[in-house]
Amino acid sequence: MTETSVPPTGTSAELLLDAVSRSYGENLAVRSISAEVPASKISVIVGPSGCGKSTLLRIISGLDEPTSGRVEFEGVPVKGVPEGLAMVFQDYSRSLFPWMRVDKNVAFPIKHLPAKERAERVRFAMQEVGLSGKEKLYPWQMSGGMQQRVAIARALASHPKLLLMDEPYASVDAQTRADLEDLLMRIQAELGITVLVVTHDIDESVYLADRIIVLSAPPSVVTEVIEVDLPRPRDHIATKTDPRFVEIRGHVTRLLRSKEHAAPV
Amino acid sequence: MKLLHEPLSGRSQAVLGVVGVVGTAAVWEGLIRSGLLDVAGLPLPTGVLGGVGDLLPDGTFWDAVLFTLGEWMLGLAIATVVGVLVGGLMGAFRSVFLAFEWPVEAFRVLPSVAVGPILVLLIGQGVLPLALTVALACVWPILLNTMYGVRSTDTTAVMTAKTFGNSDLAVLRKVKIPSALPFAFTGVRIAASIGLLVAVSAELLIGSGDGIGGYILTNTANATDLDIVYAATLVAGVLGVAVNLAMAKLDDVVFGWKKGLAQ
Repeated sequence: MTETSVPPTGTSAELLLDAVSRSYGENLAVRSISAEVPASKISVIVGPSGCGKSTLLRIISGLDEPTSGRVEFEGVPVKGVPEGLAMVFQDYSRSLFPWMRVDKNVAFPIKHLPAKERAERVRFAMQEVGLSGKEKLYPWQMSGGMQQRVAIARALASHPKLLLMDEPYASVDAQTRADLEDLLMRIQAELGITVLVVTHDIDESVYLADRIIVLSAPPSVVTEVIEVDLPRPRDHIATKTDPRFVEIRGHVTRLLRSKEHAAPV
Repeated sequence: MKLLHEPLSGRSQAVLGVVGVVGTAAVWEGLIRSGLLDVAGLPLPTGVLGGVGDLLPDGTFWDAVLFTLGEWMLGLAIATVVGVLVGGLMGAFRSVFLAFEWPVEAFRVLPSVAVGPILVLLIGQGVLPLALTVALACVWPILLNTMYGVRSTDTTAVMTAKTFGNSDLAVLRKVKIPSALPFAFTGVRIAASIGLLVAVSAELLIGSGDGIGGYILTNTANATDLDIVYAATLVAGVLGVAVNLAMAKLDDVVFGWKKGLAQ
């Protein structure tokens, strides 16, 4: 892995969740979630399946509104989709547009830009995800891992300040997943983007995160916020055998497994 | 491992197809010639083939074919524009759907050929009432397919476009309509075959002697040569098959990407 240590650009943003709740009729999906997502870091939300992670992401991205509480992005309350946000979905085959070649997919968020700048951004994003030369393929002609790289390139082309990722690697095989985790960390370090990943994979959460936000079963609350002090750059062998990694992973696992983990009544 | 049913090679498929057609014709010919089937006016396949031979150098017949093709294409074009537009809006906006749902259901069951005479009364003879009759029959599969295509746009694709800051109208233009186009085209393919049938039928019923239908009508009335009538019918059928093949090819070329649509 090639790590370059470009200092954060300072353009990245901070996200604040303040007592966010969301109910659908009688059904309370998210009870009350308060958390801070620091700028230029990787934060990971981890929780049991059905813990309202997707609901939370919809609220953060402005596609849905909380029943109560508020979301602030760069100190401004979120109303509608905020500028500077990009989202990477788990289901790349549905998220990429099959009628567009890869370069057109990547250029999708920046259609309003002049052709020259657009081409330059597409070139840079494709290079960042290691897909230079694949511009003229259709997404469905690529492997799952490559498709997800295209989705990441598309997010990068929009020059996001906040990159949201919803179970981004849950549909690819283990080796590809490891590669894509390293890819994400390298790009984040280079560009200083604020990243918020949602996952149910404990290993992944500890490996990627500067900060882990642990959610309870629904109706969800935050059970604990963990600062991960593992050194960077991280590595799949060295980091995952580090006693500190093992310790944090054990702690998160206990949190997710414990009986008390069921939401307090 | 050997499959229970190995797929046939393209060549044996073609051979079997030819054997089927020639065999049927031969049996038919045999039944009539042997006297087993004795009904006046039934054609001999060899006679019909001879009729086709007579038709080919006949300029008036080719004028009739061109007339029918023009009428059909005009009708199909009108149906496509109206069907995609109305169907797209009905799929995208609930209010439009509610406004058009019952009119569509009501007009859809109307036999278009029955409307033909009214159209002639309203706008007179010529290619236009015939083309409108064709359009009236063709619009429904296009409209309904487009509507369901727009409605079944993948929610993840829509959410993706929205998170990049696109408005509802921009999402319709950039995502829903492109992803519905293969469905709309399937509608056009279905409509194309229906349209050709209706075109010839309309010529028979409300035409003024133009087109393949008109040609058949004139020759039946004169009762001069029934083989010619059958031959013209055969040519109309072959035309239909050719149109279907051409549309299938176009579907493959233009909408090849639809194999990438998530199932």
